[in-house]
Amino acid sequence: MQTRALGETGHDSTVMTFGAIALNWLEQEGANQMVELVLDRGVNHFDVAPTYGDAELKLAPKLNQYREDIFLGCKTQEREYEGAKTKLERSLERLETDHIELYQIHGLEYEHELETIAGEDGALEAFREAKDEGTIDHIGLTSHGNPQLILEAIDRIDDLETLMFPMNPVVAGKDDDDHDYEAVLERADEEGIGTLGIKAFAKGPWPSTDELPEADRPYANWYEPVDAPAEIEERFDFAASSGLTSVINAGDPKLVAMILDAASRYDGMDEGARRSLIERLRHEESPVPEQLHH
Amino acid sequence: MDVPTTVTTALEDQPIDGATCLEAGAGVGNTTAGLLAAGAARVYAVTNDADHASTVRDRVGCRAPDRTAVVEADLRALPLAANSVDVITAHGLCNVLTPPALETVATELTRVAVPGCHLVVDDYEPPPADAAVRELFALENAVTELADGRPALTFYPATMLRRLFAGHGWTVDRERTLLDPVPWTRAHVEAHAEVVRSEAAELPDELRDPLLAELERLVAAIGEESIGEMYSIAMRFPG
Repeated sequence: MQTRALGETGHDSTVMTFGAIALNWLEQEGANQMVELVLDRGVNHFDVAPTYGDAELKLAPKLNQYREDIFLGCKTQEREYEGAKTKLERSLERLETDHIELYQIHGLEYEHELETIAGEDGALEAFREAKDEGTIDHIGLTSHGNPQLILEAIDRIDDLETLMFPMNPVVAGKDDDDHDYEAVLERADEEGIGTLGIKAFAKGPWPSTDELPEADRPYANWYEPVDAPAEIEERFDFAASSGLTSVINAGDPKLVAMILDAASRYDGMDEGARRSLIERLRHEESPVPEQLHH
Repeated sequence: MDVPTTVTTALEDQPIDGATCLEAGAGVGNTTAGLLAAGAARVYAVTNDADHASTVRDRVGCRAPDRTAVVEADLRALPLAANSVDVITAHGLCNVLTPPALETVATELTRVAVPGCHLVVDDYEPPPADAAVRELFALENAVTELADGRPALTFYPATMLRRLFAGHGWTVDRERTLLDPVPWTRAHVEAHAEVVRSEAAELPDELRDPLLAELERLVAAIGEESIGEMYSIAMRFPG
């Protein structure tokens, strides 16, 4: 599987990052098999979080068996020093490791959170302390919030080394600032920040719960994913050719093998094909009456 | 509104900011929106279709009324002065023009162009022989020929349009691929089917019924298809 420099971290990440949330829906034996499969396909960057059910616990056995082969990303939703420090210790314990390569601020959504994180007694103080102590190597941030807020975070956090945000052809077809993750990508590139793409496989929101009760959804994802091999492949190719360092799989374990396959076979996507996908999905979402042309 | 990436890609290397622009064949206003977003001083959005004119006014014109003029006119006789337009766009226009109409439109576009004018022509290569949508377009052409005595669609290869405009004095700056493959979505297929239905309404029953039956078969069989290429040619008028 292709690898790319993760910003200036010094690590070359595979073009696919294993989103270990998938382990949450598997029994331990299945989780072990999943990690074996992912490693067998060459993936070297894993991502997990304490909020992904018991994914940390289920990752631990195989993580430790192959610790040297895995660049591990973890994250915290805590915004203040004490909380972040405690959560990092708890993750280390649950993952049965003494060391996390990449620790990320998880799910930045609001301006006031950024104030807290970057301010006195903010989470970043705990991150920096851990970095000085060698418990973590790099600091990252994840968000599926407003791109303008992510840009602001880049300005505020000088030692930010990676970003995780959505990259999806439906979103790429929208022009307004609220969907302008391309601007984030461009800025991250200028700053030497590594970039990880989420939501690459999102088709759209689930139907309303009146129409489809939550218990009847066929996938564990927060959104309805694409699930045919050809769609998975074009979504992967789109995200991987957008300039991102690495693309994270959809969370449902049933989709992981297909995404691994697409990642293994990835060999680029030209601009005409990228626009073709954006255009096709633009019309699917909001068909304009009498639209004969593209 | 969101400007399609085909439009932004075709316009990104053109000097739109501050320019007087003509969008030849305004459709539903996508290119007009792209020209306005790129800073056009004024856009003449010309269409001969009253429904399209009002759609463009509603979707786009009302957002920048001082910079947009939606003009309902025949592109073969533009109500614009000679030497008056800096940038001309024809996005998905040529394929709805018959060869004689295309020649006349090229003459008119050249007439209104200032020396140094930029012209962007975006269109489709003829769909490949194995494209399912070809059958739909063939049926569309058959029905409009029978009803109106003209084809609905003619897909001109990029090389042919380059030669046509070269004959009017234009030189080519660049050509690029906008879409490859072209996504003919259900919405597109349905829009073309709607043209067939409306044209077929003018035909006698014995002709219309089998054609419409074939149409429904084709629409169901095609579903949606991604095939072919959409190109963009940027040209300049000397001066």
